[in-house]
Amino acid sequence: MASRDYDHLFKLLIIGDSGVGKSSLLLRFSDNTFTGSYITTIGVDFKIKTVNIDDEKVKLQIWDTAGQERFRTITSTYYRGTHGVVIVYDVTNGETFANVKRWLHEIDQNCEVVNRVLVGNKNDTPDRKVVLTEDAQRFADTMKIQLFETSAKDNINVEEMFMTITRLVLKSKKEMKQLQSAQNDVVNLRDKKKSSKKSKCC
Amino acid sequence: MLPAQQDVLNIVQAKFLAAEVVKTIHLNVSVVDGPLENDNRILTLVEYNKSFALFVLVSSRIQPISFSDLSIESVIPLDQNFSFETEPVSGQNYVILIIRYKQNKYEFKIEIGKESCNFAAEIIHAKEVSLTGASNFTWLEKYFGTMNQANRNSETSISDQSDFVLIREGMAQGQASINRESMLKYQMKLREPEFTQKQEFTIFVGTWNVNGQPPSASLKSWLSVDEKPPDLYAIGFQEIDLSKEAFIFNDTPREAEWQKCVMDGIHPNAKYRLVALARLVGMQLAVMVNNQHYQYVKNVSFDTVGTGLLGKMGNKGGVAVRLELHNTSLCFVNCHLAAHVEEYERRNQDYKDINARVNFRKNPQAIKDHEQIYWLGDLNYRITDLTNTQVKTLLQRNEINTLLRADQLSQQRERGNVLLDYSEGDITFQPTYKFDLHSDIYDTSEKARPPAWTDRILWRGKGIHQISYRSHMDLKISDHKPVSALFKSEISVIDQTKFRKVHEDLLKKMDKHENEFLPQVMIDQTEVVFDLVKFREPQARYIIIANTGVVPAEFEFIKKLDEASYCKDWLGILPFCGSINPGEKCDVKLEVNLETDLESIYDILVLHLKGGKDMFITVTGNCQKSCFTQSLSSLVRIRVPIMQSNPQQYNLARNNQSPILYSVPRELWLLVDHLYRHGLKTRDLFESSALHEELIRIRDWMDFGSQDPLPGTPQAVAETFVLFLSYIKEPIIPFELQDVCVAAASNFQNCRQLLIQKLNDIHRTAFIYICMFLQELLKHSNDNGYDAKTLASLFGDILLRDSIRNAKPQASRGKANFMYNFLVNDLSALLIPK
Repeated sequence: MASRDYDHLFKLLIIGDSGVGKSSLLLRFSDNTFTGSYITTIGVDFKIKTVNIDDEKVKLQIWDTAGQERFRTITSTYYRGTHGVVIVYDVTNGETFANVKRWLHEIDQNCEVVNRVLVGNKNDTPDRKVVLTEDAQRFADTMKIQLFETSAKDNINVEEMFMTITRLVLKSKKEMKQLQSAQNDVVNLRDKKKSSKKSKCC
Repeated sequence: MLPAQQDVLNIVQAKFLAAEVVKTIHLNVSVVDGPLENDNRILTLVEYNKSFALFVLVSSRIQPISFSDLSIESVIPLDQNFSFETEPVSGQNYVILIIRYKQNKYEFKIEIGKESCNFAAEIIHAKEVSLTGASNFTWLEKYFGTMNQANRNSETSISDQSDFVLIREGMAQGQASINRESMLKYQMKLREPEFTQKQEFTIFVGTWNVNGQPPSASLKSWLSVDEKPPDLYAIGFQEIDLSKEAFIFNDTPREAEWQKCVMDGIHPNAKYRLVALARLVGMQLAVMVNNQHYQYVKNVSFDTVGTGLLGKMGNKGGVAVRLELHNTSLCFVNCHLAAHVEEYERRNQDYKDINARVNFRKNPQAIKDHEQIYWLGDLNYRITDLTNTQVKTLLQRNEINTLLRADQLSQQRERGNVLLDYSEGDITFQPTYKFDLHSDIYDTSEKARPPAWTDRILWRGKGIHQISYRSHMDLKISDHKPVSALFKSEISVIDQTKFRKVHEDLLKKMDKHENEFLPQVMIDQTEVVFDLVKFREPQARYIIIANTGVVPAEFEFIKKLDEASYCKDWLGILPFCGSINPGEKCDVKLEVNLETDLESIYDILVLHLKGGKDMFITVTGNCQKSCFTQSLSSLVRIRVPIMQSNPQQYNLARNNQSPILYSVPRELWLLVDHLYRHGLKTRDLFESSALHEELIRIRDWMDFGSQDPLPGTPQAVAETFVLFLSYIKEPIIPFELQDVCVAAASNFQNCRQLLIQKLNDIHRTAFIYICMFLQELLKHSNDNGYDAKTLASLFGDILLRDSIRNAKPQASRGKANFMYNFLVNDLSALLIPK
């Protein structure tokens, strides 16, 4: 009997400036809870969440990282082995949006090909919103990343966002597998040719 | 707990010592595939001082009345070698509990219910608790001796299990300590009613002994007499081939011929697909399903059992097909039991053998494990105690019920000898055996066998309703008439939406459980700020790590990428790793001890929880500058005590950008001058160690300057002198010159040349200055007790100190030899500049 209860295991990483709501997004997704009190994450933490995608069980290990500048070198070491990255900014704080580029750069520095989604969190108080959807969308389009505007507080779009990045990762894995098997086929063909040549020689 | 169970628990408890607490028991457990399938086992969970073990007890009575009724069959410690899982058996009200311990596997059948749920929960809990501490299982030793002989060999001594590894390793890779997969299966089975609903399916079951005849007639009058096409067909034949070849090689062309005939004869108003075709010699069983249901048929398998000649040949026996239709398990058994009137006991035995020997090698393995069983075939039971004439007379009068009283099968079933728990519909048709071929006339041959209902269809299971049970007189090619039964059977159909909901709900619960079981700690501060950090004046801070989770937390400070150690060399962490039990905490001492030239200290420590999160602790502090740890070349450029120098002067001096003011640093001169005046005659000047405070006072006197005389005893000043030379940024003889110096040690002239040619003025002057002082010291050997060799050896390791501090000194002897040259020779020539 298979001892694992999942078909795929993926590591996701949540990054972004301090205070944009990375931990809140994770808590909303994993426990469906939200706490108004703000506790800075000083370190890296993870939670387990299993989701069904097209009848396949995908187990996610989602890592939440400290956003503070001084931890950036250390947190970058946790990027290794990551399948998908969630880059979060705060729609009520322009600076956090401006810093997204730096986070993207951080990913490029530390990961090989990896799936990403851009998330504008705290999208629940229109009065305070300063990062306009159009601007964020334009930026996301140029970077070829899917944009989500979420609210961990009001549980808006959180599930959709995590499901999307999971789907992206799953899709990549399958494409990679296909590519590999295609390559193997090529190798096999070559082998066959070789062996047929050999048999001719004999 | 039920009262009866509580009673038994008290009896079980009496089997153990008072301190060995029976936590929970599970009654009426039977061993799967054991030699005795009696439900006389009692699974018992016992705790002794937070270590748990599972005992398998055998009760000699159904309800034990004393602890002496119980004997210990197995003892299984709940340590890291212990694992358990449950496997539901489709359609049964019990599950298989599989316990693994090292290479041993124990399988038990336990009934699904509150008792088993509680029991499983207790075991999970016990295992978690057992693994939280270094449990000691030596208390079990005494029970191994009491175990039933048969099981003793399989146990291994547990006294050698000192390496209790804590769980959770690999949790980060997504491995849970409990088997999530089997837990999921088990929970899904328990919640099955939530996501299934009953739907009626029509099942057509037919049986015919064809007496070795080839198919020469359409089967429509047998297989498609009902108005509506059934959902499933199970058609069994006996004696499709009576040839020797078929018997010996089990190969016959008749299989395909009859199967084609069946496919042609089944209901024309629906399309059917063959699910399975099983045959043993002349017995053949085909299961066909209406196309629309085909996708819901799964886990199909079949098996055949011969009970004929020698008790195993295929001329008699049974063939069985099992499958799952939606969420219900079905089993069809077509049999041909022993012939002859008087052989009813043989027939009973054949039936038992088929049941015992059919093994589908997939779950469920045996016939009886299925939710619905349809038993068909030529069971061969006859009519007894009546003559041929009597039977025929009764038949003519249509007194079938009178006749049925003489039916062996009915009699044997009533006595519980065969097909116990099975049902059979009322027989309203005439006996189906034995007819003259191509007629409806009962046997007219010499043997004149009395007619009998040899061909029967029975069933077992819930929700099965027989619609009709009949024979088909139109088919005359055999000496038997075919029989069929139509059933409306309740099949449990999975509602995919509800199924997903329950499934997701369970996944969520298990995720929650897994997340709860991740190690969790809190630390009281993540930013540790030290007061002004001074040279060799250790300072400590404490952080408290509290385990706020439910599992022990193994913590460790881990090194960051590209760093040699988990912290900088100016910091000490004690303990740097450890384990904290839930609810407990651990004080960790952070001690800073500065021995190098730093303006401030800054480090981020990574506190890692095994299988869990990492936390960052920032350590900061400002440092006070000191003449110790500076370079000679800086010091000779600073006029005043280092703390009095303004930052600009200090920085210029550090970068060798200001003019040289002294030939030797003033700090060195102050120390030597003091020792020259007060210490030349002090015995063991360098050997006695001073009070820490004394050294601090001298350090501050040198760094800050003072009108007061240099404080401290000659010994304290001498120690400061040694410290000063030991911590100076670059040793007096720089690292890169040390090897050549050691190599030249045997010849003073060579050593002298080296000094003149390779050493810069500042270092050379300092070196000669120190050596001349040491020579002065040697003039007072009688008082201070030093000779040249001792001083050479002492100062060789200091002036030519190794680049790695605190390690065993390298090439000490060579360095001493080098030094020796300069303690016994005239140095005046060296003072002359090049």
